Amino acid sequence: MASTVRQDFQYASPTHQAETAIAGMWLFLATEVLFFGGLILCWIYSRHFNAPGFDAGARQTALWIGTLNTAILVTSSLVYAIGLAFVRAGDTRRLIQCCLLTLALGIAFLGLKFGLEWRLDFAHHLFPADPYFWIAGSLSGGARLFFVFYFISTALHGLHMVIGVGLLLWIIRRARRGEFSPLYHTPVQVVGLYWSFVDVVWIILYPLIYLVGRGQ
Amino acid sequence: MRRDLNRLLIVWLLLLILGAAEVAASYLPLPRAWRPLVMLPGAMMVGVVALGFMEVRRGSVLVRAFAVAGIFWLLVLLVLGSVDPLTRTNYPVPDAQLR
Repeated sequence: MASTVRQDFQYASPTHQAETAIAGMWLFLATEVLFFGGLILCWIYSRHFNAPGFDAGARQTALWIGTLNTAILVTSSLVYAIGLAFVRAGDTRRLIQCCLLTLALGIAFLGLKFGLEWRLDFAHHLFPADPYFWIAGSLSGGARLFFVFYFISTALHGLHMVIGVGLLLWIIRRARRGEFSPLYHTPVQVVGLYWSFVDVVWIILYPLIYLVGRGQ
Repeated sequence: MRRDLNRLLIVWLLLLILGAAEVAASYLPLPRAWRPLVMLPGAMMVGVVALGFMEVRRGSVLVRAFAVAGIFWLLVLLVLGSVDPLTRTNYPVPDAQLR
């Protein structure tokens, strides 16, 4: 299908339609901020009353995997933003290449997180319900609470990543059909906002999990 | 196009530098109450992503209103939710009362 300027009947102009779609995504992201806000509040509350246990838990996390994953996600946002710049310049082929690279980086993140890091965590008895939980003694309760936060937050973030991967595949499919042009690429922009937001969530989770209390 | 690429590369480099600063800050010998300050470079990274990759400044007034509203209500949630635990004094319960 050749790319054309899209305008559905309820919008005054194609620009109005594009602005509405982008504002709609931002509104959705505002609700997501509050969704993850509850999780952050749990961290503040639980850490305040169990700081030594949280510090002990943070020291058991695989910093190198978390740091590598942060670099991977930041780079994936860069690559996608470059793809957006290409489609604005009319180069759809480069957009597809950038989306494929973003997809590969996203899958690499998921592989490191769930294929390697979670596996190591289970092997080291860091699952909070494990009867042979690694951290014993007075720090055990706080450390278990830390790993409850760790597993829930990374699982929720991972779920958002999987949705992002699906959206990237959708963009690649539409780009291959030639549906995007410098005049119409709103879905590329909207998915880019979502992908960068998932990046932002990880940027917040990274210090909460790996850094705060690690040096003590 | 080249200007866009240069701008995006600068944003990416800034994010990597801030990330490295955050890791370095986590090894500073801070008192327990000050340890969450390690997150300051992370908060700056969020701002850099919002401005550099999400182009919040290029958005309409409605987009900026939604972005500001998200941060505003997050702060309301975190501040009001933290007031109680952060200001409460926990007195130890004697062992006899726990039995």
